[in-house]
Amino acid sequence: MVSKKTIEKLEMQAQEGNLLVGKPLSQWRLTVRRFRERKGGMVGLGIVTLLVLMAVFAPLISPYHPNEVLIGKEDVGPREKPCIHALGCDPEQPQHILGTDANVRDEFSRIVFGARVSLTLGFFTVTIALIVGTFFGAIAGYVGGWFDNLTMRIMDVILGFPSLLLALVIVSVLGPGLQNALIAIAVVSIPAYARVTRAQVLSIKETDFVAASLALGASGRQIVVRRVLPNALTPLVVLATLGVATAILEAAGLSFLGLGAQPPLAEWGTMLATERNNVFTSPHLVFFPGLMIMITVLGFNLMGDGLRDALDPSLNK
Amino acid sequence: MHRKAVWIGLLLAFALVASACAGSGGDTTDTGAGDTTTTTAAATPAEPTTTTTVAPSPDFVGDSLEAGGCDYGGRVESIKALDEYTVEFNLCGPHPAFLAQIAFGVFGIQPKEHLEATGGSPLDNPIGTGPYALQEWVRGDSVVYTRNDNYYGQKAAAKTFVLKWATESAGRLIELQSGNADGMTFPGVEDIPTIEADPNLVVLDKPEPNIFYMGFTNTFAPWDNVDVRKAVAMGIDRQRIVDTFYSPGSETASQFTPCTVEDGCEGDSWYDFDPAAAKQLLADAGFPDGFKTKIYYRDVTRGYLPTPGNVAADIQAQLKANLNIDAEVVVMESGEFIQASTTGQLDGIHLLGWTGDYPHVTNFLDFHFAETNPQFGDPYPAIYEPLKTASEMASATEAAPLYEEANNAIKELVPMVPIAHAASSWAATANVKGAYAPPWGSSMFNFWDNGTDTLVFVQGAEPISLYCADESDGESLRACAQVVEALYSYTPTGEVQPQLATACEPNDELTVWTCSLRQGVVFHDGSAFDANDVVASFSAGLDASSPLHTGNSGVFDYYNYLWNGLINADG
Repeated sequence: MVSKKTIEKLEMQAQEGNLLVGKPLSQWRLTVRRFRERKGGMVGLGIVTLLVLMAVFAPLISPYHPNEVLIGKEDVGPREKPCIHALGCDPEQPQHILGTDANVRDEFSRIVFGARVSLTLGFFTVTIALIVGTFFGAIAGYVGGWFDNLTMRIMDVILGFPSLLLALVIVSVLGPGLQNALIAIAVVSIPAYARVTRAQVLSIKETDFVAASLALGASGRQIVVRRVLPNALTPLVVLATLGVATAILEAAGLSFLGLGAQPPLAEWGTMLATERNNVFTSPHLVFFPGLMIMITVLGFNLMGDGLRDALDPSLNK
Repeated sequence: MHRKAVWIGLLLAFALVASACAGSGGDTTDTGAGDTTTTTAAATPAEPTTTTTVAPSPDFVGDSLEAGGCDYGGRVESIKALDEYTVEFNLCGPHPAFLAQIAFGVFGIQPKEHLEATGGSPLDNPIGTGPYALQEWVRGDSVVYTRNDNYYGQKAAAKTFVLKWATESAGRLIELQSGNADGMTFPGVEDIPTIEADPNLVVLDKPEPNIFYMGFTNTFAPWDNVDVRKAVAMGIDRQRIVDTFYSPGSETASQFTPCTVEDGCEGDSWYDFDPAAAKQLLADAGFPDGFKTKIYYRDVTRGYLPTPGNVAADIQAQLKANLNIDAEVVVMESGEFIQASTTGQLDGIHLLGWTGDYPHVTNFLDFHFAETNPQFGDPYPAIYEPLKTASEMASATEAAPLYEEANNAIKELVPMVPIAHAASSWAATANVKGAYAPPWGSSMFNFWDNGTDTLVFVQGAEPISLYCADESDGESLRACAQVVEALYSYTPTGEVQPQLATACEPNDELTVWTCSLRQGVVFHDGSAFDANDVVASFSAGLDASSPLHTGNSGVFDYYNYLWNGLINADG
């Protein structure tokens, strides 16, 4: 007679090994497991998490308001070198761990608040592009015919221009400013989402379960929303993650050219641009914003790559 | 491949034949590239105000420019070529600053035939008498000059002179440090210690009188309210701007004109910084919570404004902190900004400055506050009336009370807030002999000697065009000055000296100036310089109805301002 205890033990083993009883691992848990196996992806996730925390808690982290001019309030001059008391900087001097900028504002605070601007911008552009792109892509793919042709040719035209160049044109028309930069970058990233969605829809709508739904009398909208889109989501998630990186880079580029964020808003691209002339005399003012842009873009790219690997069933071991 | 080559060859040959045929039918004078008009003979008689008079010299026919009286409000009644080497300027009133003014580069003399051949816009092919002749303007890269070996003055040391440009002062400094350039304009304030520490480089002090100001156009609300302007004048800590963003030696402005210019700073000093009073004034004017406006500027480094972006950001921060005014900073393209600000189209605050063109108070005050200048909106009679009277007085001491009146009116009416008189400098390599940064006018590079055949100078921007009668920016003027000379010029220390004229003598009232021209001077195209070239060059700029009055933009800013308006401007 096998004791009750042994049975429980066996059951537990079986569950852990997913051999005997219980539900099989869900797609979601499989993905998470696969994602965790990829070091690059995890590093990316770590960077992005840190950046998001930095953006959310910016007022707590930064010692000053990013736009506070310290002339007359502290004994610091413009473009002061970094001064960290723990590293042996004269305690008499006020501490500015990344120095001050040309307008005597705390560089560290501006860098921290810059994360807010860049991340917000990245997420919003991608969200807009994702919604609009998916909408048109899905309809084009499902309906086909002239609507498909028309939509996709428009997308091809947008795609035909180098994205930053087209963004420049759009901002020139709308006028410089962060909001317009956001719109411009969103517009230029729409085609990618539209095309991917359309491709997914085209293949999914031929599958048996869609046919089954049709046979059951589901409407076109129901099929697209309930059946097709959830299954087309995987590549879109990857694309969106990578898209955030591109959007942040393009926003920084536009701001560098003076078309994005306007002073005094702390934006990395703008900060880089205003100090580009002093790269030799005040390297810290150029280095740190540049570094932040690089780290952010790297973080999202690593995370996106990791996600792609994790979500791609063909890579399933 | 072969067939293509043959076709191209045939095409080339055909083009050559065609151009040879076209050329033989036209004028005999070869003026180089860009002749668009070859038959200009018909154009000259159609000119209503240029009449041809017979001069004493038997075969010389002197031209003249007649305004037909002085009712048009300008300074010039007529300019006549009395004989081959004498020009008479008949003015509508006494003009004590005449010599200082005609020495200015925009009044450069080009051959009459060349002006006619180019239809009055030799934008990229100026012909002059200067120490260097234009060889090539490589757009986007450089202007290359060749030495004029027939020059009557000090011949240039270097056979080739190259004028390059780089917007960033750091970029210019790299050119200098790497030995690719022999001189540069305006190093960054931060870089001056580096240059001083480098044994291969020298800082050239540029003792230029200048002013950086924030201007308001009174045709836009709320700048139509004098109390608002006054509140801003009191609510900006100008000392802080000068201390933080300017080189040592710069001064907080007490008046618009620097005190180094005679009669410049008569009158009361500017308002002290008083944020409480400013806030009160603004509240009384109906804006207790401030308002929204814009700060316009161009991202171009000038002696008077070494770091435009930072100064704009600081003014923005001060307006917010002291007056609760929300100002949006707007960077504009340089040409567009100058055009919009000087014609009074900007509805916010514009950050602009001025570097003296010639050493006279009229160049500062009259240029900006004359009745004809729309920059600050509707002109203020309390300012321009004393200025007009003073500008016709020969003696500086006699004029002083009028300038005091004008300066006090400026303080009272606040068309702008004067901020700084900047100390500025250039830099050069230590081995260049004769390198200098003039207080006004352009540095003449025939004096610069680096011991080699090629001299390279880097400035902040590309010339807009090389026809400087219709340009006003220093970069263009510097590029022109090497080629085209005026009747007078400035010495390296800024004194006025005869150049293409040997002397200009006034009558007792200072209303008629008779200039004797230098004889035997030859233009770069080989034609001889005479009095008709002077009349033609002035007509092109000054006479709005002249067929030669084309230029680049057609605005002819300096002719308009310095001679109190163009002739036939309404026609």
